[in-house]
Amino acid sequence: MPDRTSRFIWPILGLPGIVWIALFFLVPLYVVFCVTFGTVDPIFRSPVPAWNPLEWQFEQVVVVWDRLVGPNNFYLPPVLRTLLYVVVAVVACMIIAFPVAYFTARYAGRHRALILALLVAPFWISYMMRMLAWINLLQPDGLVNSIITLGGIIPLEVNWLSGNPFTVVMGLIYGYVPYMLLPLFAALDRISPSLIEAGRDLGASGFELFRRVILPMSVPGIVAGTLLIALPMMGDYFTSDMLSKSPNTSMIGNLINLSIATPGQSGQAGALLILVLLVLLAPMIWYTRSNAKAEVRS
Amino acid sequence: MADRPRPPISRRRLLQASALGVPGAWVLSSCARAQPLGSPAPAASAGGGSASAAASLPPLTEIPIASPQNPVKWPINPGNEPITSGLEPEMNATLRVYNYPDYVYKRVLKDFQAEYADYNVKVELSTFNDLPEALTKIRSGSVPFDVGFLTYNYMGKLVYGDLIRPLNHDYIPNISDVWEEFQNPFYDQGWQYTVPYTIYTTGIGWRHDLISEDIGARANPYDVFWDTKYAGAIAVLDDDREVIAMTILRNGGTDVNSGDPAVLGQTRDSMLEMLSVSQPRVTITGYTDIPEGTMSLSQCWSGDMITGQYYLPEGVDPGLLRYWSPPTGQGVIGNDFLCVLKGGENPVMAHHFLNYMLKSEVAMKNLSFVGYQPPLRSLTPEAMVADGLLPANLAGAIVKPEWFQVGYPLLELPVAVEGEYQAIWQQFKSGG
Repeated sequence: MPDRTSRFIWPILGLPGIVWIALFFLVPLYVVFCVTFGTVDPIFRSPVPAWNPLEWQFEQVVVVWDRLVGPNNFYLPPVLRTLLYVVVAVVACMIIAFPVAYFTARYAGRHRALILALLVAPFWISYMMRMLAWINLLQPDGLVNSIITLGGIIPLEVNWLSGNPFTVVMGLIYGYVPYMLLPLFAALDRISPSLIEAGRDLGASGFELFRRVILPMSVPGIVAGTLLIALPMMGDYFTSDMLSKSPNTSMIGNLINLSIATPGQSGQAGALLILVLLVLLAPMIWYTRSNAKAEVRS
Repeated sequence: MADRPRPPISRRRLLQASALGVPGAWVLSSCARAQPLGSPAPAASAGGGSASAAASLPPLTEIPIASPQNPVKWPINPGNEPITSGLEPEMNATLRVYNYPDYVYKRVLKDFQAEYADYNVKVELSTFNDLPEALTKIRSGSVPFDVGFLTYNYMGKLVYGDLIRPLNHDYIPNISDVWEEFQNPFYDQGWQYTVPYTIYTTGIGWRHDLISEDIGARANPYDVFWDTKYAGAIAVLDDDREVIAMTILRNGGTDVNSGDPAVLGQTRDSMLEMLSVSQPRVTITGYTDIPEGTMSLSQCWSGDMITGQYYLPEGVDPGLLRYWSPPTGQGVIGNDFLCVLKGGENPVMAHHFLNYMLKSEVAMKNLSFVGYQPPLRSLTPEAMVADGLLPANLAGAIVKPEWFQVGYPLLELPVAVEGEYQAIWQQFKSGG
């Protein structure tokens, strides 16, 4: 009898989550497909979704594909730019977050909850408000320029907001670094101090200890953090819109946003979205499989 | 009981699950509205449109494109006749007004409520970011908007979508103060559906202390956007039609609605050259960015610089703002209009609202906030300067009636040409 109960209790408990995912993930995803492979109202240029997969048309995918790899491949620069920005921002987030997470996990003692809360506190404010704050700080006569010119003593004029790729990448790093910090902290916190002690006892130097014990054991946290921030960064359009507004820093997200706002082009927006989804699916599958293998091993 | 390891989902199972998903698609399909292509959306009916009217509409190819050379008198669809004369405004009405953000002075709306206090009217303002968004929401009929602040290159869609109500002129006597050009505009002959709201030119705005050069004195002022000297300090409007039109004018063309592939090819090349030469930002916030000094120069609408006075940091002289558009009027020119939407629940009050917005003192008050000039005879350039609405350095932002004879309005485009414009814009915004 207890066996029968436990056989049903977990699926029943999981049901709300399954319904939630079906309603708010699978159905919207299907709608994206229907819009992408649907048609356009010839008067209003609004999307007419094709709900029946047998009626799907692939013209918009061809258009997007042509703009990616065809002779006039003007979608390619923003795609490559996005990949570059995301790689740089992810690496920077890791470099920033790792020592902080390590310190908090190993040395913060009873204050670590407080330190974590303080690190995450600024991110309780909305992303838009934080970016608006940066716009103020980065104005030509803003605080950042005042500091680097020592209040105007050094004759240096930096216009951070004039389509500067550095500003956009900085915005991405600032916006996403806590999401790297938290999984890293969780991974590092799980490393048993006795393992580190054992490494030391066996004569490992600080660097060797890091390379052979801490780093390998924090890989799940690094991978989780990387995926957690790389996925939303790939679709991010807001950071470039707020901090640059220049076509020279356009990312895939900006292309998608532009296509959605342009009458008759929602199909292209959907095709771009599916492209991003496919690109991101590969690391997600790899992560899931490697996690499953690790569980089996353990 | 320990969890039993479960086999991973097989490809066969996945395919079976996918097959089960297809009926789901049919469910979604049956939930969707039947919407034949090219026909007005049934949602318009939900908002007050009539099916019989929809049936009487001609197919897409017959919808005319209005232009000064081809003025259009739109049909009045059966079942969508104007309201009769002499009706009392609706009691306890909530007049739903749909507009761009910051494009009407809220005090003017409150004054309207006060003026019609006997009818206990409440004005509710909703905003949209762009016209496609506005049209989608109007068509959906989810909110019964009474009054729309819209643009003439959407007239065909509004009429043929059965989204707009013809006007009864008896309720709008203040039309007599409107410039003659707008009592019979090319986009709505006989002002059957619209009354004008504001007029504007598109030009160049800058702050004189940040850019000391007199841009207007250049042989071709539009060249400033291709000048390395101002790289990183300038912006163009976040509007495909405006940037393409400016580039056509810069290259010596005059047809800002051109569908000629050679012209469009040259325009695209010039825009990409602009990207590499001057790295412009693309924004519609020039009216705050220039006064605040975030940006030195921007393509902008005439009203932007007039409004810009109010965004200057404290102590900065409004005399520093400059605006240039071709002094002969041979530049991009346009106007927005007010109309009564068919889905609204208060058509009589909506007519009164249109009439109210055309009152000289109301228009003047509204101008003091939005910065855009209404085409009223009583509102002369001299009066605007004398009333302190405009400093003398921004006199170039005043639009003259005769400019509508020589200026270049941005018209609705055939679908194929519109697609070409969009592709150029996408390439530009992708960074080349």
